[in-house]
Amino acid sequence: MKEQHIGVFVEQRGGVLHNVGLELLGKARELADISKGTVSAFLLGRNISALSDELIAMGADTVLLADSPLLEPYRLLSYTYVLAQTCKTYNPDILLFGATHMGIELAPRLAARLDTGLSAHCIDLHLDSQGRLLQVVPGWGGGVIATIRCTRHRPQMATVMPGVMKKFKPTKRTGKCIMLPVKENFHKSGPRVVKVHIEEPKEMPLEKADVVVAGGWGIKDSRGWRLLEDLATLLCGAVGATRPPVDEGWVSENRMIGQSGKTVKPRLYIGVGISGMSHHVVGMDESECIVAVNTDPTAAIFEVSDVAIIGDYRDILPPLLEEIRKRLPEGRIDTCELPQ
Amino acid sequence: MKRIIVCMKPVPDPKAWDRLKMDPVSKTLIREGIPSVVNPLDKHAVEAALEVKDLFGAEVILLSMAPLDTRPVLREVLAMGADRAILLSDKAFAGSDTLATARILAQGIRNIGEFDMIMCGNFTLDGSTAQVPSQVAELLDIPNVMHVCDMDISNKDRLLLTQKIEQGFVMLEAEPPLLLSFTKEANKPRYISFIEILAAEKRDIQIWDNAMLNVDETLIGLEGSPTQMADLLVQKKKRTGIQITGNPEDIARELADKIHQLGII
Amino acid sequence: MDFLLSEREELLRKAVREFAESEISAKIEAMEKTGEFPIELMEPMAKIGITGIIAPPEYGGVGLGFLARTIALEELSRVCAAISMGMQVHHMAIAALNDFGTDEQKQRYIPPLAKGETMGVVAVTEPSGGSDVVGMQAAAEAKGDKWILNGRKCFITNSHTSDFWVVIAKTSEGAKGLSAFIVEKDSPGAKTGRVEHKVGLRGSNTGELVFDNCEIPKGNILGQEGGGLAVALKTVSESGRPGMAATALGIVGACLEEAAKFASERILYGKPITSLQAISFYLADIYTELDICRLLCYRASWMKDQNMRCDTEMAMAKSYTCDAAVRCASKAVEIHGSYGILQEYKVQRLLRDAVVTVPAGGTGQIGKVVLARAALAPYKKR
Repeated sequence: MKEQHIGVFVEQRGGVLHNVGLELLGKARELADISKGTVSAFLLGRNISALSDELIAMGADTVLLADSPLLEPYRLLSYTYVLAQTCKTYNPDILLFGATHMGIELAPRLAARLDTGLSAHCIDLHLDSQGRLLQVVPGWGGGVIATIRCTRHRPQMATVMPGVMKKFKPTKRTGKCIMLPVKENFHKSGPRVVKVHIEEPKEMPLEKADVVVAGGWGIKDSRGWRLLEDLATLLCGAVGATRPPVDEGWVSENRMIGQSGKTVKPRLYIGVGISGMSHHVVGMDESECIVAVNTDPTAAIFEVSDVAIIGDYRDILPPLLEEIRKRLPEGRIDTCELPQ
Repeated sequence: MKRIIVCMKPVPDPKAWDRLKMDPVSKTLIREGIPSVVNPLDKHAVEAALEVKDLFGAEVILLSMAPLDTRPVLREVLAMGADRAILLSDKAFAGSDTLATARILAQGIRNIGEFDMIMCGNFTLDGSTAQVPSQVAELLDIPNVMHVCDMDISNKDRLLLTQKIEQGFVMLEAEPPLLLSFTKEANKPRYISFIEILAAEKRDIQIWDNAMLNVDETLIGLEGSPTQMADLLVQKKKRTGIQITGNPEDIARELADKIHQLGII
Repeated sequence: MDFLLSEREELLRKAVREFAESEISAKIEAMEKTGEFPIELMEPMAKIGITGIIAPPEYGGVGLGFLARTIALEELSRVCAAISMGMQVHHMAIAALNDFGTDEQKQRYIPPLAKGETMGVVAVTEPSGGSDVVGMQAAAEAKGDKWILNGRKCFITNSHTSDFWVVIAKTSEGAKGLSAFIVEKDSPGAKTGRVEHKVGLRGSNTGELVFDNCEIPKGNILGQEGGGLAVALKTVSESGRPGMAATALGIVGACLEEAAKFASERILYGKPITSLQAISFYLADIYTELDICRLLCYRASWMKDQNMRCDTEMAMAKSYTCDAAVRCASKAVEIHGSYGILQEYKVQRLLRDAVVTVPAGGTGQIGKVVLARAALAPYKKR
């Protein structure tokens, strides 16, 4: 197998690293070790050189660092330019991006500039016997998994949703940090940032919850949706959804779980009225315990659940709420803490 | 602001997705019998374009790379108020990945001529890659902004755009030429009116094939796509699903016990 | 015979359906509670062209025909029959003005209706009867340059949401004694009376108009003096009946959708109840009724668009479809089992709405009088 030099774009905004970059370093480390290759972290921003130690501890052999006031805040054309120049100099075989708002905008533009292939929302990455990247992407709803490869172009690029890959356990590692030159004369044109506004999350974020109660097409009305919300509240969990409840307006889009939504790995996932199409399942099938409630005994979700209940949520949830209340210690309902 | 081009895509109706079948030999989708609809986010792009038309009288052109049988979908979007449509259709385009598709769309746009803005939906329901907008912009060498959830065009020479990011938003100012992709928060697409349905019957839908576009055939279709499908698997994971049966009260009790055992309560 | 709808008609259907699903659904809860028409819907409906669908373009309308109108009303009704009811009477007023008005009257009164600035009213029914048109009591007397109108009209749709009304009244005795008038709401002596609280079609405003020495300008007589019966009959039979039929048609379609969806998901004896023939046969009945009603409604509207005489076909469509709506809604409620009679479920509203369509715009029995006459026409002895 040819040794693979794997690049990971490590996203940061305002000096704060996005978790997905660290998750991708973990996967890159795994693939690099298999091929006896290397991992390079691509880090762009301003006053961020202090972050390189963490990146090395998290799996990077090299940190390619572009530190300049011109690179904060993020601008698409500036970042594309620096990354393209860096790729032309260092020629990674593989380049990974988180499928974040930034990654979704940046990776494709860079792929077009480098005239190479890019696959989106990968749920897994492997190397074939020659060390080429196999990108695993869920297909249409229906249990179809596609494997994509980019044989004739380099780098092989892929975006990966946050929460899919596991971080490398930080260890004492050695690595180097290379300061990339940032010339004054690159893209000054293009859209300019006037304001950046970051809000604090007010409710239990889906990705950090221990318990997720999710509803889908099978929930008939908002009364039914409230049953799910009550269940989530009782269990100190977060509410998730597939697309139909989002379309009904019962829940916002950032609560959607699946291929084009969030990936969750709670201790307990309860899916109610969810058929279990693969584009949702890929977003939750690493939950520790999966409980499914559905009237359709042939629903695909029962193939991935630990506990199956074939029945109507309208009959089952009300007594379930009662039984849970009976088992809670006094005052518990008010003391759900938001995780840090 | 004289001309806006809206890239749009007819997609298989999500309500019919469970009828989609895979051809195990060619590893492609069998789409016969599945009706096509306008990609929902594209309607927000069309609405944004029509807002520019309402304010400045710009021409709004729809551009789509799709099979010939999707003309009714284009007609429907023309009935929102667009001026004309161009359908890029050729056997040579089939099997294109996002970069090959972007090459075809970019060439279509070059053929149309000068433009002020290109508008797209942020992603399509079927592919969901969200890659084409940035790639088209790159090939045309114009800036692009994705995840646009608000567009302020009161000053046509300096647009104010709000871009949604994970935990908030970024405000950008930019000038045309520009490519924007819109989220569903950006606007409320106008309903089709009867007058526009009648007017749209007279609007042009031109069909351009590759003889017209002249894109290098080695850069499009299955052969010209840098990414290829290596394999298609029907994969089912199995967990030992234990069924809880009984009347609702029994089920509730057993499930509550199980949740208790997990240490959740 | 070509039974297929054109691309234009299919797109019209789609346009109304999308609007109805997005904008009207959200209003239903309030309509059921208060019985009030959501007047804020008039503007978006005007923008789409629903309010002015049959009005001529020179008066601000779209100028489409009655088949298009039937499809539009059907799609409104599929989501909410009360909205369809309000619109169908609105169109009746436009038709009456267009068929019998002077150029001046058309210029003055059709545009505000076409553009949805106010709602249309055609007032025929009285406490003394609706079917017995010639027996009406409301009377208008010529006095100088005015008509003085006295009487009351009841069960009038859009009575309280309208700026002017087409009113039929007696100007002399007998069948040639009726005349039609355009009465503005602010006329001295005119006022709205009670509002009725119906058990179905809630949100379609139904009320009384009261005339106490109401002064109407001479120029506001609609059509000839003594020609009021023709105005009433033509408007009711050629616009009112197909409008009611289309309203009931939308209900039948909704019954099929609700019942089929529910039955496909409801599990009893370990299987969806569609596996029980009693249930699936009910669905087969509703499916057939939907097609029958569609064919009757579309055929009658098509005939009007071809300028063929169609009052019999319109009467047939109206009386059959309204009765069918009640049958289908009853079956749909039964298919839902106990859920069918809960207020949270749509299907009980379908039944209540269907029941109210039966006497509205002409009773089924009057319809049968018309049909019997047509059936017996070849055998009439001289």
